[in-house]
Amino acid sequence: MTRLIATLRGLLRRRQIDGEIEEELRDHLERAIERYRSQGLPPQEARRLALRDLGGLTQTMESTRDVRAIWLDTFWRDLTHGARLLRRSPRFTLTALTVLVLGIGSTTAIFSVAYAMLVRPLPYKDPERLVFVAEHQGSGIAWPNFDDWRHRASSFDGLASSLADAVVVTAGQFPKRLDSRSVTANFFGVLGAAPSQGRLFDESDSRPDAPSTTVVSYAFSVREFGSAAAAIGQTVSFNRQPYTVIGVLPPGFRYMTPADVYLLLEPQVAANYRGMQSRGNHTTLFAVGRLERGVDVTSARAEMQNIVGALALEYPETNKSRSSIYLVPLAERVVGEMAPTLTVLAGAVALLLLIACVNLASLLLNRSASRQHEFSIRAAMGGSRWSLIRQLLVENGLLVATGGMLGALAGAAILSGLVRVAPPDTPRIDEVRLDLAVLSITTLFSCACAFLFGVLPAFRTAGNRESLLRSGRSSTRQTSLLRRGLLVGEVAVATVLLSGSGLMVQTMVRLARVDPGFDPHNLQMVMFSPWGPGWSDLRRQAFFPEALERLRAVPGVEQAAIAYSFPILGSNWWNWFTVAGRTIPPGAVMMDLPSAGMVPVSEGYFDTLKIPVIKGRTFNRFDTADAEPVAIINSSLVQLYFRDEEPIGRQIRLAGSRPTEGYGPWRTIVGIVGDVKQHGIDQLTPQQIFMPILQQTRASTAFAVARTRGTVTSSAIEAAIHDVDRSVPVFNDRTVEQLMREASSRRRLAAIVLSVFAAAAVLLAAIGLYGVIAQNVGVRRREIGVRMALGATSDQILRLFLRHGLLVVATGIGCGLLAAVAAARSLATLVFGVTPRDPATLAAVAALLTAVTLLASYLPARSATRVDPVEALRSE
Amino acid sequence: MNKTQLLQGTLDLLILRILDLGPNHGWGISNRLQQISKEGLKTSQGSLYPALHRLELRGEVRSEMTPSENNRRARVYTITPPGRKRLTEETETWEAFALSMRRILREGR
Repeated sequence: MTRLIATLRGLLRRRQIDGEIEEELRDHLERAIERYRSQGLPPQEARRLALRDLGGLTQTMESTRDVRAIWLDTFWRDLTHGARLLRRSPRFTLTALTVLVLGIGSTTAIFSVAYAMLVRPLPYKDPERLVFVAEHQGSGIAWPNFDDWRHRASSFDGLASSLADAVVVTAGQFPKRLDSRSVTANFFGVLGAAPSQGRLFDESDSRPDAPSTTVVSYAFSVREFGSAAAAIGQTVSFNRQPYTVIGVLPPGFRYMTPADVYLLLEPQVAANYRGMQSRGNHTTLFAVGRLERGVDVTSARAEMQNIVGALALEYPETNKSRSSIYLVPLAERVVGEMAPTLTVLAGAVALLLLIACVNLASLLLNRSASRQHEFSIRAAMGGSRWSLIRQLLVENGLLVATGGMLGALAGAAILSGLVRVAPPDTPRIDEVRLDLAVLSITTLFSCACAFLFGVLPAFRTAGNRESLLRSGRSSTRQTSLLRRGLLVGEVAVATVLLSGSGLMVQTMVRLARVDPGFDPHNLQMVMFSPWGPGWSDLRRQAFFPEALERLRAVPGVEQAAIAYSFPILGSNWWNWFTVAGRTIPPGAVMMDLPSAGMVPVSEGYFDTLKIPVIKGRTFNRFDTADAEPVAIINSSLVQLYFRDEEPIGRQIRLAGSRPTEGYGPWRTIVGIVGDVKQHGIDQLTPQQIFMPILQQTRASTAFAVARTRGTVTSSAIEAAIHDVDRSVPVFNDRTVEQLMREASSRRRLAAIVLSVFAAAAVLLAAIGLYGVIAQNVGVRRREIGVRMALGATSDQILRLFLRHGLLVVATGIGCGLLAAVAAARSLATLVFGVTPRDPATLAAVAALLTAVTLLASYLPARSATRVDPVEALRSE
Repeated sequence: MNKTQLLQGTLDLLILRILDLGPNHGWGISNRLQQISKEGLKTSQGSLYPALHRLELRGEVRSEMTPSENNRRARVYTITPPGRKRLTEETETWEAFALSMRRILREGR
């Protein structure tokens, strides 16, 4: 510390010291001149002799000042000298910086993502003991099954379950819908979560006589009450029922999907909400368990398998086909299918960093080879080995520091871009941030590389001064072989990345061409919830026609409709049904019956979405609750269940809880419509049964959709609904076009990421190839000169160097294609409409890479043909 | 031993010796050195000032800007106790070295 202060004071006093040195020397000089003059010499001569004795005023001042100079001065001088050198060779500097930025930036971004998702432990207590449990192949659990599990299993310290839901909050002018999660009382205990204020649920809260309580997110408490502490004890109205806030979660708490509100599951089960008391009713309930100490996943799975097997025998009606368990570590489930993709990506990017370093090494080796002359001269003129090495250290440090800084910026940019294009439900995406540890590792890696290849040659140089002035070229031969081998790797990696990106781009093109079955353009859609206490069927039957009238009156709206589900978003009601006139064999179970997605829709629905009517009629305003019950089916259902029959005029009826039991009236089929991609663009079209919404009004979430002339906003639609009833909660988070985009967001992410990295890899490979061939040309100038002097044409010279490039490129592409075919499996779940080993894509990749790399080798090879033989021979 | 290193050490020693006689400024030291030069040791004026500043940084001499005759300021150097200690030590080393050199050269003859 005192040294630092002394240094700083020295810096501040430098001007003064400089002045004093000058004064001292001038004093000396004047006295010397006086003496010579007193010896009778003329003033000019006296001055000349005095200066000679002193060895020059400036020189002496410099050397005196050097004594005073501190390390900071030397460093600063080396730094400015280094910067000047780098500026003087912009081609080298730019290339090296590009390599560094590409390498550090992309690896830092991807490793940060991979680290956040794969490596960083889940933000729960002892996360390695947490497991995710679901029924057969990961499907939702029927509550009675979960209840049996938790009573019978002994592998768990605790087994909790939860399901994602939404609640309507009545606060402010209009009701709002919030994401919520219904959890069992032990849920937070199993996760090991601690409250930031108040307390979390415990068993006492789930007793039937307990008051209604809620735990809320930190963000919600701040938004609604100003602070977490202020929220405790407040009463909030969810779904028009009062709840007391007993606790606030820490900021950033999240389990699977984000939620603002946590409610208890047990009271919901007691009220048979969603029919949860039925063993045949599989909602989106999933369990999370904390393993007992000493119990591993395999033995827990084995125990659960036995329990599930026993339940299948006890309840064959519902559990026969659900005789297997799905139990995986929670971390595996959270990241799920992203894990292999990420691992592949991280691997590819690690290779990218390696390529970048190889290129950097190559550049630095070239540079030090071309500067050997400079080094030799400096050494011969008495420059110490240390000053040479210090200079190189500073110079390379400057390069890597600049590259590292720009690389960090590039990494942050890439990362924020990635987070932006990532699907919002991407696991742990909110935990992703530029990881400093990752950044330091990538930068250190580059530093090590720069030191190794930029500074070590100087040790060698300084070691044998004599030989250097003669020639320093013999050592480049074996390194160039190594470099060529690494280049093959570079081209191979570029091939793998490029074919992946090619496949994903093709996938995106094909997805864009898929006909969704309806016209998504100029559609405005909002969701609303005519549901809760006070909402009877009668009220809804009055509400819908009035809302439709208001919607159609909005200027710019051509047609409007209301439905209980929406294309792309999936089916929210799947049911078995029976066809009149077809006998059900005795002993048949539910699964033997035909099934379909059920969609209650208003009149005008098919018009609004422009879903083609194939036969019969659509619904109209006379299809009311009192009219004859009717249904419309889609082509897929005809294909499946009415292949040889005329469906129009036939009657169908929904099945109740038993195959022979009916639910609702018999409905006459009056029309057939085209298929719609109900479950997503990339999914098969499901069979569907449409019913008039006035004849089937019970559902919590409805969609109001309007075909517009392109000028109507969703808030206009929202206002139209509030015109009819201000108490209806309306929520619209996405437009239809957003919905369509989101449907392919995971693929788009893969396509973008792969394309970015493929471009980086191709660029790096091209730079690498260029460097090696350019260096080769440089080293063989004399040989070229001899060849040309002996009559070689420039074509022959060109071919001589292109052959090297071609050999590397061909080997690299060959290896790359093999690797791409092997890696294709990891893309299998992402591609759509092409096979992961699409020969056309692979051929295109090979052609593109050949073209780029040939260009990269042609440019330096051409410079070889411009060698002047006379000059080349003379220069030796 | 490197030639310059030898000279550097010698120069330091000579400066300390001159200052041991009393405080002096650069010009004065230089004149004394010139006298010594006539006695057979060659030093250059140019290397005097770096050496003085180096000695000051090592704490073996200290300096002060003092007004001198004809309205000029001169830096006057004074030997410090560490400087005196070094002078004694190196003088002994030199004498021992010179003695052994003489002995070797005589016996070698």
